[in-house]
Amino acid sequence: MKILVTAKRVEDPESKIKVKADGSGIVQEGLKYKMNPFDEIAVEEGLRLTAKHGGEVVVVSIGPKDVQEQLRHALAMGAARAVWVNHPGPLDPMGAAGLLQKVVEKEKPDLCILGKQSIDDDQGQTGQYLAEWLGWSQGTFASKLDSLESEAEKAKAPAIELSADGKTLQVVREVDSGLATLACSLPAVVTTDLRLNQPRYASLPGIMKAKNKPIEELTPAGLGVDVGLQVEVLRMSPPPPRKAGVKVGDVQELFQKLKNEAKVL
Amino acid sequence: MVDKQSTSFMRSLCMGDIEEDVLLPFPEMPAKDAETLRQVVASLAQLLGPKEKDFRAWDVAGELPAPFLEELKQFGLFGLVVPEEFGGFGFGSTAYSRALQEVSRYDGSVAATIGAHQSIGMRGLLLFGTPEQKRRWLPKLATGEMVAAFCLTEPGAGSDAAAVKTSAVRDGDSYVLNGNKLWITNGGLASFFTVFAKTGKPEERGKLTAFIVTRDMPGVSTGPHEDKMGLRASSTAAVFLDNVRVGVDHLLGEEGKGFKVGMRILNNGRTGLGGGCIGGMKRMVELATRQAKGRVQFGQPISDFGLIKQKVGHMVVETYAAESVVDLVAGLIDQGYEDYAVEAAISKVFATEALWRTTDEALQVAGGNGYMREFPYERALRDCRIFRIWEGTNDILRLFIALTAMNDVGAQLADLASSLKGVLADPIKGFGVLSDYARRRASLATNVGRGKGAFTRLHPALRDSAEVFEDATRDLATAADRTLRKHGKRIVEFQFATRRLADIMIDLFVLAAVLSRVDSAVKRLGVEKSVREREILDVFAGQVSRPVKSNFGKIDDNDDELIKHLADDAFEQERFDWDNL
Repeated sequence: MKILVTAKRVEDPESKIKVKADGSGIVQEGLKYKMNPFDEIAVEEGLRLTAKHGGEVVVVSIGPKDVQEQLRHALAMGAARAVWVNHPGPLDPMGAAGLLQKVVEKEKPDLCILGKQSIDDDQGQTGQYLAEWLGWSQGTFASKLDSLESEAEKAKAPAIELSADGKTLQVVREVDSGLATLACSLPAVVTTDLRLNQPRYASLPGIMKAKNKPIEELTPAGLGVDVGLQVEVLRMSPPPPRKAGVKVGDVQELFQKLKNEAKVL
Repeated sequence: MVDKQSTSFMRSLCMGDIEEDVLLPFPEMPAKDAETLRQVVASLAQLLGPKEKDFRAWDVAGELPAPFLEELKQFGLFGLVVPEEFGGFGFGSTAYSRALQEVSRYDGSVAATIGAHQSIGMRGLLLFGTPEQKRRWLPKLATGEMVAAFCLTEPGAGSDAAAVKTSAVRDGDSYVLNGNKLWITNGGLASFFTVFAKTGKPEERGKLTAFIVTRDMPGVSTGPHEDKMGLRASSTAAVFLDNVRVGVDHLLGEEGKGFKVGMRILNNGRTGLGGGCIGGMKRMVELATRQAKGRVQFGQPISDFGLIKQKVGHMVVETYAAESVVDLVAGLIDQGYEDYAVEAAISKVFATEALWRTTDEALQVAGGNGYMREFPYERALRDCRIFRIWEGTNDILRLFIALTAMNDVGAQLADLASSLKGVLADPIKGFGVLSDYARRRASLATNVGRGKGAFTRLHPALRDSAEVFEDATRDLATAADRTLRKHGKRIVEFQFATRRLADIMIDLFVLAAVLSRVDSAVKRLGVEKSVREREILDVFAGQVSRPVKSNFGKIDDNDDELIKHLADDAFEQERFDWDNL
């Protein structure tokens, strides 16, 4: 089966993020970047599915030339080839989904796997738009019953199950009350939650092999997509600093404070 | 252009010449390697990051478990320096040093294992192996199927490598090896040994030869894991050679050239250890800053206090300086310089001692916590103590640095001595040497007419620190000349004097490296944006200029004889002589 996965370039959550004084964005100097962790999980799941059922994983990213670093990382993990949509400017989820839709129509995969959200803007909409516009079934927030310490995880078994006839996917998803299991007919869009798998690291042999794997360059204009923004960012501001907490002597006092001071009871 | 075969920055400096072409611009890692390394760094964080608790447990147990070693091999960490045509990753010195830096941020024992394998264990094969030898062993070494070890040290041969007793006796088209090798890193894991044995007569000194010995050869065995102070999870063991028959095709380099082979291996591999030191220092900066911000005393985080800031500030300066000198040496090797033995030795001495000081200060910042096994400081301190001892003790390396760097000065003086005798026999040639020498001394004394006495290409913003360096260079050249004229060939007996010159040279070369790196930063970022790096340079230049001045003063006015008396007395008594009881 052919699987298209996404690899968005995001700020490394370990780096210290500072908002510019004028609120127009964040200070990018000295920042480190990495692949969106949810996308790493998507790449891993794609690789596990193709290892079990055959086929190939194609990875796609949208952004300036720098995103090639994240594409190379996915290639080093084991993806077969990469598609880079060269778009240096800002992008909102509808724009991203529009571009991905065109890439999907071009690549014709059986399955798309995306991170459920990216950790920079945390909008969590791209996968849903994409499924809707393609008219495909969708399984969002894919997760699994097994823990990340389980034997199945150690054996790198895919958590998303493919039916015997190869026409349906079984996706376990996290919902407020627990886990729900969906059957999705293929082709489908799946978005990944945190507990789906533990992504592999890229070994040196993988990194060296990735150097020779092809990256195809596309542009929004070439794909015929208008990426004009539907969402305008007016201003960014850092969250207010956390105030110091208080220590309570016993449960009684805690209830008193919750009731009288916090007024939440 | 400088001659890369014969130019050594430090040998030139002792003659009073600053070889700017060697120093500037500061070497940069090729973009292609940098991209690979960024990925390696990210992957190592995934591989080693979650294992902090395991590393502590393995330190106590004294062993790295086999499945983890297998994981390191799968990752490719045993093939970093093996050329790609033999299944490795073809890292140059700079990239290799950077990779080891990253590994050592997580665990010293892991860094020691892959470092000993590649910095010294297989380095002889890389440098001196025949194409056939490389084809035969490099692919297996690259995957880690074979682990390599460097076997020079013996019970009676430590710093004095020429005292090796292991013998290799020629018998037909093979050699028969007998002897014991001591404290061999990777001894218990290795199946590929670079062994040094004596091929000359037993009573002769020297005449060492390097051999490739493999574990499958009858007569090769290893002792138990040594119970060590630090790097406890890395394997250290004795290697025994009992009538081991080795074919002539296992010779590494020429027969009788083993000493040179050994020294080339150690010099060439030094930036691996240097990288390891830098990784350790960066980790200490991270740990100490977090510790200090989180620790509240007198109602404030201790990071607010001047004495803590002083420590952390110096840790930053030392780390920057060590990284500059290690990267400069790695860059020289990658650019094809061949005479870098002194510079590499300086980088080893400085980086290992800077790491010790930095780790010790980080532990001090952590206070009582630093002494507890629950925290990483005490293990880091234990792990790095050996660095000042192995791969050439820092004491022996100091003598090596000073004596080797002054080679040109000595050669000129020798020419001078023979010319004085020859002036009458061949006045024209004799006067030539005399006037060269006279011109150099006069120009050093007056600072007039010195071709390479000052920097010409450094950014003007660095003028003050450059002057510290230039003044000290002039003093160094004068001191080298005076010391050699005073002691002549007997200089080797005057270790106090030699050590002082070595300390001056170490400080100056590290300062040169920092100057070069900050110069590149100023030119890249502009004067304003490189303010922190310029501050580091100012602090370091100030830090260096005081001991350098004091060491110069002590060449003629010192307490060497007093210290010797006290030491000789102590040797005589074998105890401390005073007591109030």
